[in-house]
Amino acid sequence: MPRIKIDHSKCTGCRHCEIACSLNHVAGVANPRRARIRVFEEGGVFFPVIAGPFVDAACTSKNLIEIGGHVYDMCLLCRASCPQKPFFIEAETDFPLKCDFCGIPPNPSCVRWCNTGALELVED
Amino acid sequence: MYGYMGKFLRVDLASGKHAVQPVEEDALKLFLGGRGLATHIYMREADPGIDPLSDQNKIVLCTGPLVGTGAVSAASCYVVSKSPLTGTLACAKTRGSFGAEFKFAGYDGLIIEGRSEAPVVLSLMDGKVRLKPAPHLWGRTTSESIRVFKEEIGDEWGARETRMAVIGPAGEHQLPIATLVNEGFLTVGGAGLGAVFGAKNLKGIAVKGQNSILLADGAKLVQVVTAMINKLNGSLITSEIMPQWGTAFLVRMCNQKGMFPRNNFQSTATDVKTLGTDAISEAFSLKSRGCFSCPIACLKKTDMDHPLCKGEGAAPGFMAISSLGANCGINDLKTISRAYMLCTEMGLDPLAAGGLFATAMELAEKRRISADDVKLELKFGEAEEFLKGLELVSTKKGYGRRLGMGGHGLAEEHGLPDSFMGVKKGPVPCFDPRAIQGLGLHFATSNHGPHQIYGYTFMDELLDVRQSMDPFETESKPELVKEYQDMAAVMDSLGFCNWVLLGLKFSNLVPMTNAVLGTSHKAGDLMEIGERVWNLERLFNKRAGFSGVDDRLPKRFTEEPIPDGPAKGLVSQVPEMLPRYYELRGWSGDGDILPETLERLGLSGV
Repeated sequence: MPRIKIDHSKCTGCRHCEIACSLNHVAGVANPRRARIRVFEEGGVFFPVIAGPFVDAACTSKNLIEIGGHVYDMCLLCRASCPQKPFFIEAETDFPLKCDFCGIPPNPSCVRWCNTGALELVED
Repeated sequence: MYGYMGKFLRVDLASGKHAVQPVEEDALKLFLGGRGLATHIYMREADPGIDPLSDQNKIVLCTGPLVGTGAVSAASCYVVSKSPLTGTLACAKTRGSFGAEFKFAGYDGLIIEGRSEAPVVLSLMDGKVRLKPAPHLWGRTTSESIRVFKEEIGDEWGARETRMAVIGPAGEHQLPIATLVNEGFLTVGGAGLGAVFGAKNLKGIAVKGQNSILLADGAKLVQVVTAMINKLNGSLITSEIMPQWGTAFLVRMCNQKGMFPRNNFQSTATDVKTLGTDAISEAFSLKSRGCFSCPIACLKKTDMDHPLCKGEGAAPGFMAISSLGANCGINDLKTISRAYMLCTEMGLDPLAAGGLFATAMELAEKRRISADDVKLELKFGEAEEFLKGLELVSTKKGYGRRLGMGGHGLAEEHGLPDSFMGVKKGPVPCFDPRAIQGLGLHFATSNHGPHQIYGYTFMDELLDVRQSMDPFETESKPELVKEYQDMAAVMDSLGFCNWVLLGLKFSNLVPMTNAVLGTSHKAGDLMEIGERVWNLERLFNKRAGFSGVDDRLPKRFTEEPIPDGPAKGLVSQVPEMLPRYYELRGWSGDGDILPETLERLGLSGV
């Protein structure tokens, strides 16, 4: 099954993946808020997050995750859109968005435009 | 109107009122957007003779139509006003995501007028225009101001999406060498604009929004951009050199050709072991930062540990290493990075600050400034005192009060005007014009004071990007200068960064432009728009009191040969090249635009 592998250390925060996704899903529209991938920055590290399932309730607990000595709020990495983290909901329609691999693998548009190798398509 | 948001916002800081106005489609055809459109609007709004720091002066911000659309390396917002440093137009270019977010906030541009009574931040967020009181941000460094402002938004996720351009203490003190900082990076060019912000009590601008940009042919753009990314990947310089070291790779290249100056252009550096790419790799752990939709990612950050900047700070690139480094006799990257960090945190233009200190050090060397009088040991290579001086300048303390006027004023005050290496009061960037003739001609004629980002002839003269041209020769250089100046003007009007030309040809930008705008421009059409913008700027400067007499380099470059290095014995041939350059431009022998040229470019009525 093809998967998108994310390497945070390579991401430069250029957000080209967001626009690639937006252009591919809504013809002729560039808007990161309509993308199914978003890049968040925390402590000098960029985290590309790919839209996962939509949930209409927030978690009742907070999780922390330690990576390389730095403690991050797990919400940052979480792929779900929830009332606590209002991403991946299309602004104009309130429609929840989810990554669909751009229809036909193996060519997600975000991977194709990622020039640094932070996003990579792998088979396992 | 594909590619545009279709709206300009006008904000009066004095009354707090704002109004939305449509963009004029005729003006878009003539000037596209960005630098060109901002200049066009600024010229209509402000009198060329205006005092830049007066309440009547205005500031125009404008993004290019390709910004935020996914077109490669199109990310900038351009800030135009009259500079208190040079008295010419000034145009600063933002980096990072500010320009794109500005468009997503719903506007192509912004006209700021009046002066606020108390410090404010202009916030354009989620469709609401607000002047947020900011007395508590006044006096804070740039990174601290951004951090505090974002904290006060009270919404972690909203704060992440917010992008800001702010001034630091240097701008608040209205220093003519102050500039803007956005997302931890100094804007490029535009020295003095920080003071214009400061004079208006405008600490910064915050933008955020979720508007869509509509494109004429999205499918075509996707196809072209994919090809362009592959093309950038196929070029060594954009796929390996720039991503690894940023612009710092230029240090060794300039030095090899004998155009890397030291000690205020009194000699050329001979040993750059401690400044080149190897030294950088050793000194810093560099992290690449890409501006919005830029596959090259040449900006570099590194870890800093300093009271002013804990955590991440911008790592020095070519401009910092040359202007704040070798040209001040400083040869160690630690000092240079601290100086650059001070500039970033205080909001000082590194070129203007470097030029100032190089001048001051020469004045001290020639005993025009005495260390006892000024309580500052200004000396080439004296690192600690240099850093102390930078701090004094940006906080307007001690001798910093005098220094803050800039290199030109200082040299005049001490009776040695020729010790200031600048054109139109703006310091010359550290490419010695005697060893790179075309760029020298550009420095002499540039509309915003000398800066290579308004005419990048070094791409052919030094880097052989399109063709190999001997930097020491003058043949075909006036043609080259005109071409690159026009190209820079139109690229700045579309929103493209100059560095993209290291991997792509100018003609590669045309299909992206047409896919976004739905036009059928050819490269020649775009170059003509660039020429129009260049002439428009020239027209403003003429009305502001400049003429062909000001198109000259300091005496050192035209009369004193380079004393050492590979370019030993050379002087700049600008006076010989100027007549041909004027002729190519359609200007008179005195450098005035001829009426037929204005007519050809559609500028007769301006």
